Amino acid sequence: MTSPIDVEDGGTSVVVDGAIQLATTPEAKELQGRSPGQLMWIRFKRDRTGVISACVVIFFFLIAAAAPLIAKLYGKNPYTVYADEQPELFDSAGVPVQPNGGISSEFWFGLEPGNGYDVFTKLLYGIRTSLMISLAVTVATVLTGILLGVTAGYLGGKTDYFISRVIDFLLAFPAQLFFIASMPVVVSLFVSPTDETPVYVRVVALIMVQWFLGWMSLGRILRGTTLALREREFIEAARVSGAPPWRIIRREILPNVVTPILVQGTYMLPNFVTAEAGLSFLGVGIVEPTPDWGQMFSKASTELVMQNDITYMFFPGISMIIFIVAFNLLGDSVRDAFDPKTAR
Amino acid sequence: MLRFLVRRSLGALVILILLSIVAFLLFFGMPRDPALLMCGKGCTPANIENIHHVLGLDKSIPEQYWIFLHNLVVGSNDFAQGPCPAPCFGYSYHTNEQVWGTLMDRLPTTLSLTLGGAVCFLVLGLGTGLIAAWKRGTLVDKTFTAGAMVISSMQIYFLGPLALAILVYQTRIFDKPAYNPISSDPVAWFTGLIVPWVVLSTIFASQYTRMSRSSMIEQLQEEHVRTARAKGMSSRYVFFRYAWRGSLIPIITIFGIDLGSLLGGAIITEYTFGLPGLGRLAVEAVSFSDLPLLLGVMLFSATMILLCNIVVDAAYAFIDPRVRLA
Repeated sequence: MTSPIDVEDGGTSVVVDGAIQLATTPEAKELQGRSPGQLMWIRFKRDRTGVISACVVIFFFLIAAAAPLIAKLYGKNPYTVYADEQPELFDSAGVPVQPNGGISSEFWFGLEPGNGYDVFTKLLYGIRTSLMISLAVTVATVLTGILLGVTAGYLGGKTDYFISRVIDFLLAFPAQLFFIASMPVVVSLFVSPTDETPVYVRVVALIMVQWFLGWMSLGRILRGTTLALREREFIEAARVSGAPPWRIIRREILPNVVTPILVQGTYMLPNFVTAEAGLSFLGVGIVEPTPDWGQMFSKASTELVMQNDITYMFFPGISMIIFIVAFNLLGDSVRDAFDPKTAR
Repeated sequence: MLRFLVRRSLGALVILILLSIVAFLLFFGMPRDPALLMCGKGCTPANIENIHHVLGLDKSIPEQYWIFLHNLVVGSNDFAQGPCPAPCFGYSYHTNEQVWGTLMDRLPTTLSLTLGGAVCFLVLGLGTGLIAAWKRGTLVDKTFTAGAMVISSMQIYFLGPLALAILVYQTRIFDKPAYNPISSDPVAWFTGLIVPWVVLSTIFASQYTRMSRSSMIEQLQEEHVRTARAKGMSSRYVFFRYAWRGSLIPIITIFGIDLGSLLGGAIITEYTFGLPGLGRLAVEAVSFSDLPLLLGVMLFSATMILLCNIVVDAAYAFIDPRVRLA
């Protein structure tokens, strides 16, 4: 769903030159003028669902950032193979002996069937890896989307035509198939196929591949918004007063496209999280022993887990559902706060 | 209508050619040498040279691409494995079988999975969405909306293994998912695919519940609907004959996209349930670095996506007479 942009109300913050500033300041003093950002913040604070989901999302980012600290306090790390360290905890197949996946006061979330990693630290570090990658992809796609979308919309003409056709073309790509097909190719750009692939190369490849097919929707929206903004009077005024294009884009257009960027950004990030997890699930993303959210799912779908104790499955599963639900609700609230007119 | 179809098909053809160039460059133009992967350990330069020659890799990239296109349109007899008739994607590096033949072998699985799943999720999604819109604001509506919200946040790679574990491995209610051709044994075909269908439709339906609810509510506020009510038509008649029809437009858009990407290979679903469809074929092709096969799957699935898009756009005109195809 695309968010309609509130161009009418969004333009108030724009100050073109000194004369207009003088005209508006006395009025602003009397009426306690609020910037659109402040208005949005006030509306957002009133939305209880939004605040709660924002807290949940922040909680996830906090535990991801503090994963090493938490693991240190908890006294374990996600790389210890407890099947070797404490074999008495596992039966011959590698399944934890104790019920419910080996949950105990020592291992809060139990032990992973098979290698016997500690699930709690594994999950913390896994969330950390996934969120780091997804955040990087989001930043990269947003920057690309701004660059190409605003350029296309502002310059128009041949540039616009060319960028729009590129967007159309990339949207026709079978995305998931392209991801799995190009992952090995991108990895091979950095290392030769005979060498061991370092973790950072996989991470960089994941980011690149998702970035390549991730920016188009935002780019298209920003193109449309810029196209509409270009015809507005304040842009015209700026152009007439001799402002160079770069200044117009930076000072007049960018402040007015913050809304779609924020709204789309909050919708995009959870999608990147699930896409990255999907790739790792298929075995083309992050691989053992590096902890990763998606790779925990691939471990959970082995016959060993499905036939014996399925407790392990729920930790990555439920945590991801909570995260995605919270993030989607947050996205809706952000949109509502910016655009009070659109009905849900 | 005919002009529209011709124009869109030509556009799709251009996109396909561009896509094949990009994919070709991606797989054959990269510094990675496929011969090195095929050769394995203990490889001598002479071996590599030999493989290069057999695969035609010693030619320049444009030349290779031209041969690829040529084979695709008219077929080829130059392959060491044997003749290769018209839609010729070459022979798989790994299995030494014709890529087109392998694609056609795998297609029925994907078709069954997708079409069966689509029927389930459309009925489920549209049904719950309509009920939620009909009972707007009641407990039923809230339950459905909240349920759809949570389920749409689930992923096949969680729900799939969970359903497998509970329904197949722990309780043994259903058999392990497998594909049996419908022509030989319809009952086995049905029972083998029921778990994947249920999982697929649960996840996809939630999106349709939300979409059809909101689009239905939007339609009910339209003026032609209000006029119909004011004329004294029964709310049931207005609901189904006026509002429902209008609310289908956005749903068909999403359905076209979903169907296209599913037909092109429901990668994660097929991988989770071990069904030998196109999506699984793609994963296999990647893991064996089987470039001709990968190129074949990619182009095939892009064709599916583009075809579905064209069909969807044409379908608009049937549903909404205001839409004109230019």
